[in-house]
Amino acid sequence: MVLTIFLLGLLYVVFVGVLFAAGAGAGLIVAVAVVLLLVQVFASDKIALATMGVKEVSPAEEPELHGIVERLCVQADLPKPRVCVMETTMPNAFAMGRSRKTTTVCATRGILDMLDSAELEGVMAHELTHVINRDVMVMTLAGFFASLAALILQFAFFFGGGYGRDEDEEQSIFLVIAVSALVYAVSFFLLRALSRYREFAADRGSAVLTGRPSALASALIKISGTIEREPSKDLRQAEGLSAFFIISPKAKESLLALFADHPPLEQRLAALQRLETQLQQGTAAA
Amino acid sequence: MGLRDILWGRHEVKGPAPDKLFAITTAWVTLESAHSISPAGRAAIVFQALATSEFEATIKEMEAVVTATGGESATTVATQDDSYGYRWMVLSNPKGAPSVEDLAVGINAVAGSIETAGFGPRLLCAVFTFTDAKGAPVYFIYNYKRGFWYPFVPEQGSKQERDTESELRIKAQVGAELPVEPEVERWFPLWGIPI
Repeated sequence: MVLTIFLLGLLYVVFVGVLFAAGAGAGLIVAVAVVLLLVQVFASDKIALATMGVKEVSPAEEPELHGIVERLCVQADLPKPRVCVMETTMPNAFAMGRSRKTTTVCATRGILDMLDSAELEGVMAHELTHVINRDVMVMTLAGFFASLAALILQFAFFFGGGYGRDEDEEQSIFLVIAVSALVYAVSFFLLRALSRYREFAADRGSAVLTGRPSALASALIKISGTIEREPSKDLRQAEGLSAFFIISPKAKESLLALFADHPPLEQRLAALQRLETQLQQGTAAA
Repeated sequence: MGLRDILWGRHEVKGPAPDKLFAITTAWVTLESAHSISPAGRAAIVFQALATSEFEATIKEMEAVVTATGGESATTVATQDDSYGYRWMVLSNPKGAPSVEDLAVGINAVAGSIETAGFGPRLLCAVFTFTDAKGAPVYFIYNYKRGFWYPFVPEQGSKQERDTESELRIKAQVGAELPVEPEVERWFPLWGIPI
């Protein structure tokens, strides 16, 4: 985490430095940056909600979901967020909004049907922990420079090809393009690392909030569609099948891990297992 | 929550706020005499039941303590789990002799031993049952995290609707005697109260 933040910070400092050194329309860059930031901070949740077909539900429509969220809010000392449901069979849930007062939590129909109430509680606690940790704000701010770099990249491609400039100017434009591309590429990976870290933090927060790490683990197993992880098949029956999978494609997985914005399931389950062990031994903060 | 906690994404569950539980023991007098909202002789403490042997042992111990202290006033104790995975420890006064003081002492003893055992953050709330002039239930809910009370009046005969008008009226009636949660959006309902 420290390294990630440090690298992101370093990146931004270098980036801003280079922009100013290049002197490439500093005023314009600042103006665009401010507008972009404001839009991201204040409107991104509304835009996203509007485009995804999310519907706010009343306590009468979804008593169980509301009940779970209300109890968690009391437990976490949060004001109650807007509760929404997305009518899709894909099991998923998310939280949105820049602050505790303007939060929306959303669960899909698929996840409501799939999980029992303890598991659903674990998932909603995970989402509410994102709210407590202000993850939307953190990720928006952290992602801001990446979007800015992408924007500059586009501007440069559109307007960079003019003629009648002297060599110095052309050079500086190329430098801006190169640096922007680099910033974008590097921040892409760092952002994903940051996101993975915050997912772990939210898993932990959920376990602390509900006191039931295993319920969240069970929900994660169900959602990821790998219910077979806990074998329901007789050992003698399963043996023939598993022989085919004795060598797992590890090399491919490790490269993919760099791109993932959620940590691998195995690691999340292992972390939750450790929490459950601590809880049972009475060493965790109950 | 400091900047450091935000950056690290670490937080602990808040423990109980300074205790204002006993405010009900004075507030109910006005409620009964001036507004005919009288105690029903039942109260409950609601908490998350952890599935660990240490926690179960604490609960067992607590029940024994409450039964022992409730001996002279004949207060009985019963526990049950709700569908959300929360445990209700229900204290009842003997029939015809409701005593808000006895209930508050009992609830406080339970909360105290939960906290002493280090499970303070698991406390959700305490609920005291009252009835209005028509005999409909009026609940007073004490939020341990906030240290505030709020009224909860379920609409009679309908499912999961609350009588906000009555709740706001009760808030005005109880006035300064009970520390009432100032943010109305935190007056979280509790459906299916078993008392």
